[in-house]
Amino acid sequence: MASPFSAQTQQAGLNIVVLDPAHGGTDPGARGTGGIRESEIVLDFVIQVRRALELQGFQVVQTRQGNENPSFDDRSATANAQRGAVFVTLHISSTGLPGTVRVYVNSDLPTVADSNGLIPWERAQAPFLGLSRKFGDLVQGYLTPRFKGSPDAAQSASVRQLRTTAAPAIAVEISSVTVEDRADLDRMAPGVADAIARGAAAFKPSYVVARTPGVLP
Amino acid sequence: MTSRWKFRLIGGLVIAVLAAAIYFPILRRRVKHAARLQQQSEEQARRELTQPIVINPGDPRVKTKVFWASDTIDSTLVPVTVELPLSNDPVLRSKQVLNTLLAGPVDAELRTLPPDALLLAFYLLPDGTAIADFSEALATSIPSGIVSEQLAVDSIRRTLEANVPQVQRLKILIHGQEVETLAGHLDLTGTFVVSTNPAQPPTKPSATPSGADKPASPAADKPPALAPGTLTPDKAPGKLAQPERKP
Repeated sequence: MASPFSAQTQQAGLNIVVLDPAHGGTDPGARGTGGIRESEIVLDFVIQVRRALELQGFQVVQTRQGNENPSFDDRSATANAQRGAVFVTLHISSTGLPGTVRVYVNSDLPTVADSNGLIPWERAQAPFLGLSRKFGDLVQGYLTPRFKGSPDAAQSASVRQLRTTAAPAIAVEISSVTVEDRADLDRMAPGVADAIARGAAAFKPSYVVARTPGVLP
Repeated sequence: MTSRWKFRLIGGLVIAVLAAAIYFPILRRRVKHAARLQQQSEEQARRELTQPIVINPGDPRVKTKVFWASDTIDSTLVPVTVELPLSNDPVLRSKQVLNTLLAGPVDAELRTLPPDALLLAFYLLPDGTAIADFSEALATSIPSGIVSEQLAVDSIRRTLEANVPQVQRLKILIHGQEVETLAGHLDLTGTFVVSTNPAQPPTKPSATPSGADKPASPAADKPPALAPGTLTPDKAPGKLAQPERKP
């Protein structure tokens, strides 16, 4: 007979992707000369990314559905409430070579726990940096052949949104709002969506975590 | 009945006009006063800011590395060597090199910092932590995005690293305040590692800086090296503490 506590030793795999369309509400993010707003475009991108992920069998959770602007912590809280999830925040930059895409993982953070064994919220990303790097490199690896001029590997940056996220987490930034025609950006969406979905699928076998109550992820 | 309502309406209008006549001049005076105060404080701040950094003619002219954006490789920095009379005092020296960085190249494409940004103050703590306080323009005029914000901070960090060996870490303030991000992306709540070398007296700034290609890293005095290819959390994490909520 199975122990009622046997669930404590079960392994859980990656099955949820939390998508974060950056900015929103009163914060439009980067703005282009042609009236392009980052907050609007990322929401459109997310629709395609979501569809691509669902085709790969992932459940998708979004940090915002419409034109609202949750705080950094609220967005992280959405991700941190999941088990077996990865986090992807989507951005459009103001600069950079148009038509390129960069993946970022958080810069190094010291792994610390307070005296109660709790992970400080402010450094929730710290235990996941290795996983985030692996996930980021995979996604960048699928993006670079499609978007010439993009880096070969994920970059490190102190991205605020990633720091409080207790899951493998990456930021994907598309260049840029300076394109003359918004259609140039729209044409990138299917490629970006496919690369993220393929990256998540490739990352899935690597991400096996203990499902122990009270332990993250 | 009708005339009674008319009387009330006219009375109400008269009261409203009288109230406006009394209140509007007061409001106008207050607005003018507030505008004058703001202008005075801005002028005062600008006067303080534009005071030239004291340059001692006796200071030796040294080759100084300033990090600008590359004109050949997208979103990367390149060191540009300029000859400057630099002080041996690390605080004064830091101000001199950062003001040179802020003055920037003529070509706007090579700038990493907004042309209207100013260095308001610079402090160096005994443990090697530098605090650089910039004007609001650094946050409001910089192009929004991870890549541009990272380039800005990296240019500050690497310019200090190449020229002021006493600076170990960097904290960036905007108008005297800690801010959450530079322009919506880059985390400014922590400190950025400038150099992992122990503090030392000034040396020739043309010396090769150590770790010049390191990415900026906040809140990491000596970040632990991560095993490459790690596929599980580095340490079995415990429960997650909840964020502090401000009332």
